[in-house]
Amino acid sequence: MERSEHGNRLDTNSDYLFQLLCFLKLHTYTRVQVSIDICGVDYPSRKRRFEVIYNLLSTRYNSRIRVQISADEVTRISPVVSLFPSAGRWEREVWDMFGVSSINHPDLRRISTDYGFEGHPLRKDLPLSGYVEVRYDDPEKRVVSEPIEMTQEFRYFDFASPWEQRSDG
Amino acid sequence: MFLRAIARPLMAGVKQTTGIVGLDVVPNAREVLISLYSKTLKEIQAVPPDEGYRKAVESFTKHRLTVCREEEDWEAIEKRLGCGQVEELIEEARDELKLIEKMIEWDPWGVPDDYECEVIENDAPVPKHVPLHRPGPLPEEFYSTLEKLQLNSKEAPPAVTSGESKAV
Repeated sequence: MERSEHGNRLDTNSDYLFQLLCFLKLHTYTRVQVSIDICGVDYPSRKRRFEVIYNLLSTRYNSRIRVQISADEVTRISPVVSLFPSAGRWEREVWDMFGVSSINHPDLRRISTDYGFEGHPLRKDLPLSGYVEVRYDDPEKRVVSEPIEMTQEFRYFDFASPWEQRSDG
Repeated sequence: MFLRAIARPLMAGVKQTTGIVGLDVVPNAREVLISLYSKTLKEIQAVPPDEGYRKAVESFTKHRLTVCREEEDWEAIEKRLGCGQVEELIEEARDELKLIEKMIEWDPWGVPDDYECEVIENDAPVPKHVPLHRPGPLPEEFYSTLEKLQLNSKEAPPAVTSGESKAV
């Protein structure tokens, strides 16, 4: 539990996530009825590499709280859709982007990636331009996806400071 | 302004609207609240007596129940409790009942005494452009200053801009 000027953050483990959020939603002194966002973070150096973050808002008490839970690739977290109906899309997004799935989720589909996409984009091990590219193929008269071909190598600029390397201004 | 001051005791009888979308006016709010709070106090007996949850729920439920029993009028209840409208209080009471039922089912009691929850105090200063979300002021102060401003504005225009100097 962290209490700071930046905002309150609460870490929990996965067994009690649903119970904790239910308590936060229903108890008279902590009425967090709104879930603002559910997102994930990938820390590849950790053992449980993902962290799913629930941003919640209490309109009654005008306060926000953030609940964080750590998960690895095979952990399945409980869906909070029954508590916060808006969480449906956020959980689908977390599943699509990171691969953290939910037990008994009513509707777990991909939401932001292409229909046949393999892989989970926001993980740190998927490269920035992905593995396949799509182009319209005239003989076949449809869009085909092929392994990516980049004419230029990926350029990585490492500016020490914006003031030092002013070659062309 | 004068009309409002004269009509105010008459207006306290019927509530037109809660002002909140989707929340209907409950005409017999006081009875509903009393029954909900008595039910809450009965249900909370199933929780072990030492638990902080039981103490917290009992304390505020008893306070709200005594206020509801003493005051006849929904407006007086709202003003005295300072917790928003009676319809919101009804919602909170219903949610608390649901929560008690679930807590009894899940049974989280019995944490050993030496379990320490790590509390990190992060006092890093926040940059000025970042908005801080702070809870709002207490409703009771708001009501009392509003009353005083309205009474004073009938006689003379307010000499000070801040309402806090008038509140006791």
